[in-house]
Amino acid sequence: MKAQPPKRAIKFLRWFCREDYLEEFEGDLIELFEKHFETSPKKARRKFFWGVMRSFRPGFMKAFYKVNYSITTAMFKNNLKVAWRNALRQPFFTFLNTSGLAIGMAGALIITLFLHDELSFNKMFADADRIYRVNIDNRTAGETNHFAAVSSPLANVMQSDFPQAEMITRLRVSNSILLKAVDVEQNVKEDYVAGADSTFFEMFGLKLLYGNAKNALEKPNAIVLTKTAALKHFDLDEALGQSMVLNNDEVYVVTGVMDDLPKNSFLRNHQVFISLSSFDDAKSLAWNTWSFPTFVKLRTNVTQESLQAYLSTVKDRYLIPWAMTFMPGLTVESAREMEKSSGDFMRFTSIALTDIHLHSPNIEDELSTNSDIQNVYILAAVGLFLILLACVNFMNLSTARSLKRAKEVGVRKTLGSSRSGLIKQFLTESTLVAFVALVLAIAIAALSLPYFNQLAGKAISIPFGNPLFWLALLGVSLVLGFGSGSYPAFLMSKFAPIKGMKGGDVNGNGGRTVINSLVVVQFAISLFLMLGTFVVFQQLNFIQNKDLGYQKDQVLIIDDVDATGKQIEAFKNQLKTIAQVENASLSSYLPTPSSRGATTLFPDKSLGSENALIIGSWDIDYDYLSTLGLELVAGRDFNRKFATDSSAMILNESTAVLLGLSPEEAIGMRFTNDFHREDKENMRYFTVIGVVKNFHFETLRNSIDALSLTLGGKPKKMLVKLNAGDFSKGISELETVWEKFAPGQPFNYYFMDDSFNNTYDAEQRLGKIFVIFTSLSIFIACLGLFGLAAFNAEKRAKEISIRKVLGASIGQITYKLSIDFLKLVGLATIVSLPLAGYFMNRWLQDFSYRIEVPWWVYLLTAFMAVVISILTVSFQSTKAAMSSPIKALKQE
Amino acid sequence: MSEHSLGEFEELVLLLVAANNKEAYGVLILENLEEKLGKKVNVSAVHVALKRMENKGFVESSYGGITHERGGRRKKYYSITSIGKKVLDQQYEVRNSIYQQIPKISFGQ
Repeated sequence: MKAQPPKRAIKFLRWFCREDYLEEFEGDLIELFEKHFETSPKKARRKFFWGVMRSFRPGFMKAFYKVNYSITTAMFKNNLKVAWRNALRQPFFTFLNTSGLAIGMAGALIITLFLHDELSFNKMFADADRIYRVNIDNRTAGETNHFAAVSSPLANVMQSDFPQAEMITRLRVSNSILLKAVDVEQNVKEDYVAGADSTFFEMFGLKLLYGNAKNALEKPNAIVLTKTAALKHFDLDEALGQSMVLNNDEVYVVTGVMDDLPKNSFLRNHQVFISLSSFDDAKSLAWNTWSFPTFVKLRTNVTQESLQAYLSTVKDRYLIPWAMTFMPGLTVESAREMEKSSGDFMRFTSIALTDIHLHSPNIEDELSTNSDIQNVYILAAVGLFLILLACVNFMNLSTARSLKRAKEVGVRKTLGSSRSGLIKQFLTESTLVAFVALVLAIAIAALSLPYFNQLAGKAISIPFGNPLFWLALLGVSLVLGFGSGSYPAFLMSKFAPIKGMKGGDVNGNGGRTVINSLVVVQFAISLFLMLGTFVVFQQLNFIQNKDLGYQKDQVLIIDDVDATGKQIEAFKNQLKTIAQVENASLSSYLPTPSSRGATTLFPDKSLGSENALIIGSWDIDYDYLSTLGLELVAGRDFNRKFATDSSAMILNESTAVLLGLSPEEAIGMRFTNDFHREDKENMRYFTVIGVVKNFHFETLRNSIDALSLTLGGKPKKMLVKLNAGDFSKGISELETVWEKFAPGQPFNYYFMDDSFNNTYDAEQRLGKIFVIFTSLSIFIACLGLFGLAAFNAEKRAKEISIRKVLGASIGQITYKLSIDFLKLVGLATIVSLPLAGYFMNRWLQDFSYRIEVPWWVYLLTAFMAVVISILTVSFQSTKAAMSSPIKALKQE
Repeated sequence: MSEHSLGEFEELVLLLVAANNKEAYGVLILENLEEKLGKKVNVSAVHVALKRMENKGFVESSYGGITHERGGRRKKYYSITSIGKKVLDQQYEVRNSIYQQIPKISFGQ
């Protein structure tokens, strides 16, 4: 049998190759193939392919050779050529036009990528559209809080009576841990740790690199590490089956190694997953501890409403019956009654996995910080503004330039060019500029993306490999080219030829009005953004300098001090002997991000459920108040002299308000959290000995919740108040002491004010992003104004010269040329500032503690706009005013 | 760019067309070229040169008869036109006359 050349290659050749060449090429290729086939069939095939590929060139293609003969392409070519020449003839305007558009596009491109990243959160998980998380909405004492973690028994209960769920998985929020291989001294600290059910991997469609995903998290003391975490201790292929020591205490076995989790997922930071069965409270039947983020995968076609309907029955069926076991007199009805009268509530709600990142801001116990859909809207608006500004620029400059082209249009029309032909010409020009700008924009975006990533804390890249991305870009630049080119195109093609050739003012007043209103729009947008930026920064400043009720400066926090074991007190005392240490205190609970705890308290002898007080509960020590500089409004601090202080309690002002008492009245009250006890006589009571002045321990978005402070607990952090001086020396002395008490343990420390500032990281980033894009928009607007001013000066060159000849001074002429633009900027200010003020006030509503937008901010914004525009315009105006009148007048 | 320009590779192909007048076709030219140059050439390069020269009017072509070779495809035979010959002659003359001007050069020894 004869050798057959590759069919696909022939098919491809026949598809693209023009008919009159095909037979010859195919024949030559086949002949060669047959010759080569005798020596090596493989080589013959390869050569055949290569030959076909090499013939894939425009000259040999059907489409191109046909197209080359059509009149449309010929015209298009001509249009393109004229467009190119025109662009080169006025390099200054072309530069302004293209660069303005390119900068606008680059900005919008980066914003789009950023938003795409934000909107794609959690969508990569398998069946993400069917996964929901159960939340708790809780309102006590008028304060509504949302919790991402729920009670432990809920999952079990759902498993048995909610068959619409295909799978239910619990995670457990966990503190940071210290981790090391068994035979190693040095611990590694892992901040992002979670407990997870054995179904965790199946739930989210996650695969293990090593280990069996089915049972990796089944047994207690099993641990799964991400690649990053595993590499800190082992070679990747050796990690599986290794024993590790957790918190210098328990031994765990590595049962799996997984890839790092996607950056745009709610688990992006997590490095370590511990089997849920390792946690003591995993089997707890208590409904009042909320530590378990619970995820439900619904069966296909089950709606969120049915999940919601089920969740609303859980409280009456399980939670209240459980509470009745220790709260005498509580019934489902009385609980309902109580909620009605107090306005308080506690309910289970649900949120789609894909909504978590953007639609649940201000939620507590979240596994990683969320963003806010509001920010997405704001940035989307800024991106649109940018593009709009750039387009306006483009339209303005092109329209202004139309006068210059009036003669050309006149000649073209006289020679028989149709209006549509002219429109095509101008549209070709604008589209050409749009495409050049697109190429520039991609380059600018690619170069600036690393900096933006750093700023936004993201890992965004330009999806060069994605055909959809290119398609979108091409589409957008076409639309931009057409959109912004259309007005000048229609305007210019309208000219009566005779008018155009005479060189009169063919624009008429129509063009002027449009240009003017566009300038107003541009500056209105820029002013809006400018005011927004000012307000954001004012608010940030306000927060950071607000009196928080405690001293965060010069306070050093040492993490994981429980590593010193039983010597923890000795360690503290030793630290206090260092000259630079003013005071030191041990606690896990800080006003900056740290542990949080809550407890249910009952006042003395009134165990009725209506008296339950669910408030924050912190364990502290004797030196806590003095170290942080907390002030007492009534009563006294804990004191070592009183042995009874182990059952003493200090409340904050909010608690007194909640109780409806003055601080003084609260002193001496007794509370118990020991109500589970059978023998009520032996219940343990806390006596209130002091009320501390309110201090901010949540972000300033929230108001101050009720809080109780008691002695004891297992402190994990040490607060060290330093006096002013050489911090690095003080810290090195601390480290020496640390080495003595906790050899081999990592010495992790940070300053409290840094930790505080990190809480406002999101706002900081938003603020910086705002500044960048605001500056961009102002820059673009100024480019436009600059171009217009230049053009205006050129157009009025003769007028200026005559004025000069007749004795006008430079100042007068500059004023004359600038005032028109300044009027427009003034108008923009009047339109824009009230609107911006309204929107910024709405933004501020999110903060419990916020500024009023001060009047001088409006003034400053307006002032800056005027100054910037004067600077922009006056350069051109002065230049025109100073030029010699002869130059302009001699040409006719 | 002049209509009568001739690239180096094109010139080689044109020479081969002239040498094998009316018998020259893609594969034959390719094989001759490879033999003379002592290196591999892709057939599409030959096609490109032929089609360009055909557009410039240096060569003309006609189909041969159907045979059993080449999977039944006809060969396309090329022959040189009078313009093509003139261009070749000019090219040759220019080179020749310059070559004649080279003085006797001795390279040492």
